[in-house]
Amino acid sequence: MKTTEFTLDLQAYVDGELDASHRAEVERVLASDAEARALVEGLRQLSELVRTHEPLARVPESREFYWSQIQRRIAAAEVAEGREARPASGALNWLRWLAPALGVAAVAVFVVLPRPGAETPTLASNGPVEDAVSMTFRSDADGVTIHWIN
Amino acid sequence: MPMSLKSDYPSASDEQLVAWAKDGDTEAFEELIHRHRDKIYARAMIMMRNEGDAVDLSQEAWVKAWQRLRQFQGESSFATWMTRIVINLCLDQIRRQKRTRAESIEELEEESGGVERQMPVVENNPTEGLETEELRRRIDEAMGKLTDAHRTVLVLHEFEGLEYKEIAKRVGISIGTVMSRLFYARRRMATLLQSLKRERSE
Repeated sequence: MKTTEFTLDLQAYVDGELDASHRAEVERVLASDAEARALVEGLRQLSELVRTHEPLARVPESREFYWSQIQRRIAAAEVAEGREARPASGALNWLRWLAPALGVAAVAVFVVLPRPGAETPTLASNGPVEDAVSMTFRSDADGVTIHWIN
Repeated sequence: MPMSLKSDYPSASDEQLVAWAKDGDTEAFEELIHRHRDKIYARAMIMMRNEGDAVDLSQEAWVKAWQRLRQFQGESSFATWMTRIVINLCLDQIRRQKRTRAESIEELEEESGGVERQMPVVENNPTEGLETEELRRRIDEAMGKLTDAHRTVLVLHEFEGLEYKEIAKRVGISIGTVMSRLFYARRRMATLLQSLKRERSE
């Protein structure tokens, strides 16, 4: 009685997966084991039969329709790729936003630039009109003053 | 290549069409699709056993091919390169669907029964057998009765011509599992084909 391992070795022999020493070993057994030879023959026949009769199938769509669907998918994939690649342009959009804001901030800095000797508020709130609120923030470390008026 | 010859797509070789397609020639690419679409679809159909999935995955394979065309350096034929793409998509789809979980009963049968030495002998003798087309159909039918796990290994080995270690890598299983699945698939195929032959002779 041969082991499962040997049975799989016989299959590996048929599939050309054994090294020279294993192959020689299997061939020694085959010379005296009719059952093993029958199995090897059965495996060979089946393999040959399947390989030479690969099932065929035809695309169930016309050439034009099939191609048009592929074209659409390629175009959609390209659009999606473009969207993914957009972080760079997104960053540019953000910069476009930021530029005027920085301009306004620069004017604000100029307006509230501390005069020599003047006291610098760090965070102040002052409302000349009852509904209006203004806030000023200054960072000495960064040399920046920002003024909000609502 | 002069432009005047480019219009003659049907008579151009695959290599030439690939070269044109790499330059963005969609008509050349469409000609490649026309030539190989049935083979690619058939391979997806064998794997998925479902027309909708096969159409979808074969189209996806062509989209991937277009996107990766520059990576194709002609180490294999274009058709082989394409079948590898579609097979990979099918494997991904099968994994996604976790279809192997539904096969536990058959896998248990395989594991508990081990591999038997006895294997029905299936002779490919046209005089007593079936016409080639009918035989193809019967083989397809038998393959449809295998589980995805067994059919996958059989397809990768017999049609894709992959070695055990390459199958193991692609499917994510051990070489030992490849061997036992392949043996089981073959034995089952042999049994199914034998019974089909018996049915026919009755």
